[in-house]
Amino acid sequence: MSQALTASKAEVSPRGSKTGRMRSRSGFLGFWSQFFRRPYGVVGLALLAVYVILAVAAPWLTPYRPSDTFLADRLAAPSWAGIFPRFRGVPPTKRLVIPASDWKATGLVAATVTRQKVENNGEATVINLSPEATGSASADLSWTLSYPYDPPKTFEVNIPYAVEAPWDASTSLSFKVVDPSGTEHVVWEKTVYGSSDWKTQKLDSRDYTVKMALGLSFFDDPAQVVFAERGDYHLALHVESSGGSAPVRVTVGEVGFNVLGLLHGILGTDHMGADLWTQLLYGARISLIIGIVAAIMAVAIGTAIGLISGYMGGAVDEFLMRMADVFLSVPTLPILIILSAFFGKNLGNIIILVAAFAWMGTARVVRSQTLSLKQRAFVESARAAGASDGYIMVTHLLPNVFPLVVANAVLMMPVAILYEASLSFLGLGDPRIPTWGRMLQNARAFGAFTEFAWWWLIPPGLAITLLSLSFTLIGNAVNEVLNPRYRERA
Amino acid sequence: MGYRTYLLRRAFYALIVLFVILSFNFALFRLMPGDPTSLIIDPRFTPEAKALLEKQFGLNDHPIVQYGKYLWSLLRFDLGRSFASQRPVRQELMERLPNTISLFLTSFVFMAGIGIAIGVFAAARRGSFTETFVTGAGLFTYAVPTFFFQLLLLMLFGYYIRIFPIHGTVSAPPPEGFWPQVLDRLHHLVLPAGSNVIIGFGSWALYTRNAMLEALSQDYIITARAKGLSQRAVLYRHALRSVLPPIVTLVFLSLPGLVTGAVITETIFSWHGVGRYLIDAVLKQDFPAAQGAFYLIAIAVIVSNFLADLVYGLVDPRIRVAGEQA
Amino acid sequence: MPFFEVRDLTMYYQTLRGQVKAVDGVSFSLEKGKALGIAGESGCGKSSMALTLLRLLPNNGRILAGSIAMDGMSLLDMPEETFRKTIRWKRISMIFQGAMNALNPVHRIGNQIVEAILTHEDVSREEAVKRTHDLLNMVGISPKRFGDYPHEFSGGMKQRVVIAMALACNPDLVIADEPTTALDVIVQAQVLKAIEDLRSRLQLSMILITHDLSVIAQFCDDVAIMYAGKIVERGSAGDVYSRPLHPYTAGLVRAFPNIAAGRSIIRSIPGSPPNLVDPPAGCRFHPRCPLADDRCRAEEPVLTARSGGHAVACHKVDVLAGGRDIWQEQPQSA
Repeated sequence: MSQALTASKAEVSPRGSKTGRMRSRSGFLGFWSQFFRRPYGVVGLALLAVYVILAVAAPWLTPYRPSDTFLADRLAAPSWAGIFPRFRGVPPTKRLVIPASDWKATGLVAATVTRQKVENNGEATVINLSPEATGSASADLSWTLSYPYDPPKTFEVNIPYAVEAPWDASTSLSFKVVDPSGTEHVVWEKTVYGSSDWKTQKLDSRDYTVKMALGLSFFDDPAQVVFAERGDYHLALHVESSGGSAPVRVTVGEVGFNVLGLLHGILGTDHMGADLWTQLLYGARISLIIGIVAAIMAVAIGTAIGLISGYMGGAVDEFLMRMADVFLSVPTLPILIILSAFFGKNLGNIIILVAAFAWMGTARVVRSQTLSLKQRAFVESARAAGASDGYIMVTHLLPNVFPLVVANAVLMMPVAILYEASLSFLGLGDPRIPTWGRMLQNARAFGAFTEFAWWWLIPPGLAITLLSLSFTLIGNAVNEVLNPRYRERA
Repeated sequence: MGYRTYLLRRAFYALIVLFVILSFNFALFRLMPGDPTSLIIDPRFTPEAKALLEKQFGLNDHPIVQYGKYLWSLLRFDLGRSFASQRPVRQELMERLPNTISLFLTSFVFMAGIGIAIGVFAAARRGSFTETFVTGAGLFTYAVPTFFFQLLLLMLFGYYIRIFPIHGTVSAPPPEGFWPQVLDRLHHLVLPAGSNVIIGFGSWALYTRNAMLEALSQDYIITARAKGLSQRAVLYRHALRSVLPPIVTLVFLSLPGLVTGAVITETIFSWHGVGRYLIDAVLKQDFPAAQGAFYLIAIAVIVSNFLADLVYGLVDPRIRVAGEQA
Repeated sequence: MPFFEVRDLTMYYQTLRGQVKAVDGVSFSLEKGKALGIAGESGCGKSSMALTLLRLLPNNGRILAGSIAMDGMSLLDMPEETFRKTIRWKRISMIFQGAMNALNPVHRIGNQIVEAILTHEDVSREEAVKRTHDLLNMVGISPKRFGDYPHEFSGGMKQRVVIAMALACNPDLVIADEPTTALDVIVQAQVLKAIEDLRSRLQLSMILITHDLSVIAQFCDDVAIMYAGKIVERGSAGDVYSRPLHPYTAGLVRAFPNIAAGRSIIRSIPGSPPNLVDPPAGCRFHPRCPLADDRCRAEEPVLTARSGGHAVACHKVDVLAGGRDIWQEQPQSA
């Protein structure tokens, strides 16, 4: 519709030749003032600007790196998904470090509890037990955790501890979770004979030892069992010592307690608990680089071949154009697949390969333009003045085909982006680099479908779609401004 | 006659392209640094297979002799044995070819059929909802990557609303009886073919609409209306008939794109076809298999390009004159 | 009652820029067997009027007023289907510019004629083919070329095919829209001769639309001069040519080389036809007219009959009637 409008406007205003007019106001400002009259071009440019900002500012827009894993549980939904009924009550990530001062001593038998600074580990709780008098001594510490959510999939506990005891003392430590209805779930039990140096016990609810401690089978999910209810939980630490002939001193550092959330960040997480928003941002960098570099390379090759072919004519022309025909007849994606497998999966190769199979269209257009330019007086006179072929091509022909080249380059960018995305999606992308194609491949390969993780699938796909749309809109607008006569072809 | 020279010339170009692709394939294997057999890092790669490979490629011969043997074996469709399965590549490809063909014929017939019909309809009723729809669908086609759209459909209809199977060409085990089997295959076909159709019909519709509008603005349409022909006769006998040559040509020209798209569609829907065979072979570094699949796809593309030329000459009476420019 | 009569016909195109007043209150009539020429520069609404007569307007063309009557039948009041079946081609046919694109390039020329016959007459295909052979013979094309495609014909031959096609259903009235434009001069003469022969042989009524006054002079009985969507002068061909009463007509007549008159300076009318979206107020010709005064700029002249059916729409009619050569006096501006 808008094309028809601009076309009819062009007809109404009386002017000699459209191209002549274009050239007379072909300055930088003239170009932009023409460009901004095309609403879809402006939309495309705005869209592209958003992408560029996101790509450039990626490190400031996310606190994570694309390689950071287990920031939340695997396949955590975006935080804002909490507004949907399906995700109501889903736990967010909780990373708690319980300070020594927060532990409440709930039962002490022949024991005292103090606190002490510990090197590199903040303040530690020191439990002094005196089993030598009564034969056994124990201490119970408790900390209240408010948990108003559905069961998580995973929780983790880190308990740094040390025991100083005589050789004949046996000291047992255990970590329990007491649920709101009072049931005690023993997550960890450990008995130390004699002393033990500093150690950090790391517990992951998915570990078999935890399942053993809880008396669960291999296939049960401890997190589901332990955090089955909503309400106030008590994390309890029980220390008990017996048989020692001297006082026992148990030091417990700052206990870490993590619930890996099922809601995370702006776009949730993937199968490794990595942040998808971060991957999306860094993917924008790659896509922009690939699109721009590959398109410029392809168009540069195409321009060179088109210029030489059109200017030289004869056998050279015949050969180059037949070569273009051959390249056009080769099935592009299959050959890219074969070649990228041969040359190795890295970004540089992919860019070169995409460029190598995308120059033909530009070559043809540039050639036909060159053929008509060649007839013009200024080329004839340059030749008569003794200018070399190379000189004529670079100084006379190239500037004249440049507008075509620019438009071709912009229109080539979405093509390059889609090829890279396709290759990455097929598993032939650069494995070290987060790209949108690889996000989609991972989503397909690692369970986005079975768990209906739409937040993993839609953002990269939409990002590719909108980026190629933006280049297409810009390209068409540029083409209309710079090459009014080629308008229909684009 | 002009048409015959035209055809001969196109056939000659097709052969050149075939030759170039074959040579390229040959070079790819031989120009690799080192022993081509050492490229294969595959635990299944036995010394026998290595010997077989060396024998197959005649690695001790002069390169020219090797090249000759290579060409001869490819022309006989002797594509060697797959490293992975140790079965002849030709046999494996032939098992998959019918699946690929059925998927593509279905996709293609519906895509072009629906697209052209809607395009004609949109051109006949300018400014209608259909026309807006066609323009929108065309843009959609252009912007949305096929594989993204297919993944979305797969997630929605294969996993969320489980009404279509998520992978394969046929259930395992297949149902009893002929008709249940046919239905089962059709059921598997719905998502892959349907997604191709949805993503593809828009550009057909848009192209047809534009071509029809162009045709409808021609003087001969006014002549036809002046003759008192009915609206239908004007639309179909004159406008549609005159845009048929470019559309039919486009039908054939679009075949290569579809063949190429096979790789992705078949991968997404785990379709047991040639395209997925190619990508599997490449990922497994199964070079004879990859080469065979590529060879088959390349031939399909060359043949469809040639058919496009041939058909264009047949449907457009002007080709006997215009053919010289092609 | 005249055989064909057009009264106050008004047809505007609705465009985004406003209404294009392509045909604005046009009236004329035609007796059976006579030929009427309609002349004017390109863009003055001639072709739009031809299309209006066959009700072949594009979607944005609206007939806003007026009537077209043929044998007393009102053609504009007829339902579209009836008009299509009983009038188009059967009673009124049209000769288009065949050299251009009036023939469909993908159909054999014979079939394009047969199609017209079969649409309107209940005859067998064989009969229609036989008649097509006769028609081709009549315009001087070998019936052997029935199965050829338009691109296999030269411009003049295509024009003959178009003429044969126009005669396929024995129409009462043939409208020829620029039938010889885009043909070279010799071919033009041959084609015109063919049209003239057929017209006298078949007693056809004809409306000939052209920008070429010499063609009209050659074989029209009456002539109407159109300017900017309106008829500015109407009369018998002899009267209009020998004694033009409108400054525009006078200018047109001067602009044509007169072979008989020997060497003379050919002058065209300065300026160009107005934009029909926003035509000049008053007399539409006033910006280009050497005689224009305030009245011409304000008041629109009405087509008024003078002697012998010669009618003109000009306030200054007396100046020209007095025999002054107004264009001679006018210095040519570049």
